[in-house]
Amino acid sequence: MLEVRDIHTYIGQFHVLEGVSLSVPKGSITALLGRNGAGKTTTLKTIMGITPPTQGEIVYDGQPIGGLPSFEIAQLGIGFVPEHRAIFRDLTVRENLRLAERNRGDFERKEDLIFNLFPDLKRLIRLRGTNLSGGQQQMLSVARALVPDNRLLLIDEPTEGLAPVIIEQLIEAIRQLSAETTVLLVEQNFLVAQTLAEYYVIVEEGQTVKHGMMADLAEDEETIHRYLGAA
Amino acid sequence: MEWLLENRTRLLTLGILIVLFLLAISGMPAEEWVITALRGLALGALTFLVAAGLSIIFGLMDVLNLAHGELFMLGAYMGWTIYVRPDTVIDGATPFLLIASLLVLVPLLTRWVRSLTLPDLVDKIWPWVGLAAGIGLLVFALFQYPLSTWDLENYAQSPISNAIAFETGTFQSPPPAEFEASPVLVIGGVIVGSGLLALAAAGFSARQTTLRQPSPTQMRNIAIVSGGLFALAFVVLAINNPLTEFMLGLGSTPRFFIAMALASVTGALLGWTIEVTMIRPLYDRPIYQIMLTLGLGFIILELVRAVWGRPEFQMPRPAVFAGTGEGCPATSIGDLVQYQCATIEVLGGRVRMYNEVFIIIVGLLVLGAVALLLQRTRLGMIIRAGVQDSEMVEALGINVRQVFSQVFALGVGLAALGGVLAGPSLGLSNGMGARVLLLALIALAVGGLTSFSGAAAGAVLIGLLQQFIIKYGQIGINVPFMAEPFKPSPPLVPASSVLLMVVILLILPQGLFGRKE
Repeated sequence: MLEVRDIHTYIGQFHVLEGVSLSVPKGSITALLGRNGAGKTTTLKTIMGITPPTQGEIVYDGQPIGGLPSFEIAQLGIGFVPEHRAIFRDLTVRENLRLAERNRGDFERKEDLIFNLFPDLKRLIRLRGTNLSGGQQQMLSVARALVPDNRLLLIDEPTEGLAPVIIEQLIEAIRQLSAETTVLLVEQNFLVAQTLAEYYVIVEEGQTVKHGMMADLAEDEETIHRYLGAA
Repeated sequence: MEWLLENRTRLLTLGILIVLFLLAISGMPAEEWVITALRGLALGALTFLVAAGLSIIFGLMDVLNLAHGELFMLGAYMGWTIYVRPDTVIDGATPFLLIASLLVLVPLLTRWVRSLTLPDLVDKIWPWVGLAAGIGLLVFALFQYPLSTWDLENYAQSPISNAIAFETGTFQSPPPAEFEASPVLVIGGVIVGSGLLALAAAGFSARQTTLRQPSPTQMRNIAIVSGGLFALAFVVLAINNPLTEFMLGLGSTPRFFIAMALASVTGALLGWTIEVTMIRPLYDRPIYQIMLTLGLGFIILELVRAVWGRPEFQMPRPAVFAGTGEGCPATSIGDLVQYQCATIEVLGGRVRMYNEVFIIIVGLLVLGAVALLLQRTRLGMIIRAGVQDSEMVEALGINVRQVFSQVFALGVGLAALGGVLAGPSLGLSNGMGARVLLLALIALAVGGLTSFSGAAAGAVLIGLLQQFIIKYGQIGINVPFMAEPFKPSPPLVPASSVLLMVVILLILPQGLFGRKE
């Protein structure tokens, strides 16, 4: 579904990605793991075309997408749920969802699916983004990526700073939607990543250092300790 | 309740401003403060038309367009020309449309140029040669092109005299200009010259590696637009004389409304062109953008001086707002409609219909239209979201750069509309752009830089403040322990708006409607 080969990305003068490679098989959830500042978020932004790569290849569905403007990448069917949610404060929940439409009527077609996953949003539909709690904003951010027919979702730290109840709800939602959509998930909380993902990729200092099946990683305490700092 | 607490500083400031306003009008006879307030609102409306564009452009694109004031001025001069000298506009339309029809072909030509393989040296040099040849040929052909217009060297034919003659109804348009050289050669020169120019532009843009290829539908649309403009150029040429006669035969009122519409549309097209060709390549270098818009402002100013001259002149009011004879000043709406009076009596004072009523109405209409656009349309939704985070809007699959061009066009179109509207009230002068830009920038700072409602509130505040200070300059303020009333001197007028800005920013650093980032 998505192949990233040896990408290098600069932010200003900083060489942030120094050779990240990863592969996301169709229909799977792949977790992108690593410590703070390892380059996980930049990897997602590079795939999304927000910080274009200076070197390397990104192939989505057999088509090279490295260097395309981010709106064209999104139009190919890639949804982005960024870190810190990036909900539009001045727009209502409905407008936030409508904005994500790529064709007229997308929202109406997906309304049931979205409100099944996140029943709270239905009640909040007229509220402005600025009035939502962190958890509600996160739900809206995920829901927004579901409005158009995306085939790949890039989700960045969905559980950061949220209450356990909400985290459970989000895990369930991501699990459900992964039945139809491929997901590349950045997650600091190893337990969450372990619960959801089938595959993992670990980045360290802007480079891919390890990848494989999540089931194997769960038993490899040394790797977890060394690269993720978790026990 | 929560809302009240959250906005207490804002509400308090607004309360103080209202009290100050009430104090300001308390000593004044009703008719005087009503007229002063109307004047303030009218100045606010004009400032708003500039500030609105500035604020949306700055909010969405982070571009502080310092040329906005000069574009307002250019709008006024363009409007004047369409209004007073439609013959000039119609004569100039053909070469303008021909040049435009070829320049829109640049993306197609770029594609073609890219497919060429030329020796290195030739590849480097030819666009420059094309540019020089194109400009040379175009200038030569345009000077041969017959244009019936004013003459800056001859007072009797100058814009000043044209305006006076128009107002007194004695304006005689000069006989239609005729080709002196062979028309085929002159028009051919315009076509070949602008063709070379377009080719040179394609040569330069082909060097940019990041440029995207137009899609087949886009290419088809470009070809259709170009063909349409080309054909239209010849249609206008063919019906030049009857069209001119028709326009000159129209009354001043329809001509004025045509001028408002046409100048706004031309302004919008100009804004679009500026964004696409000059601002767009510089999004990564904001400082260069500011310098570019500043420089552009100077270029527009010099252009206006070269074409319309330095002296100030009038833009006569349209007939519907100019009646002074029988039944005027009007005492009722019925009289007003019947006699088309220039003034109406309100509370014993005379209110000028154009300066103090019409301008405010147009300002309110634009305010409503833009507010509807922002709140009710998809474009507005994209703008509101983009003001906060344009990167994320783009990541949703929306071509934000395209929206940038539309917004820039809208902003410049509004400024041009403001210019035409200001013409009959303030007159046309080379300094009108700089003055209104200063007011608009202060209005933005007062209202909150990226807030559209803030731009409106700030503009109205500045307008009211200035007009009340002017009024008190005439009648004086009774200050305790002073024998003579204190009369604010004229320099206090601009100083007062800066002072208001300083005070408001000290209390509310984000401005009245700004938001903490």
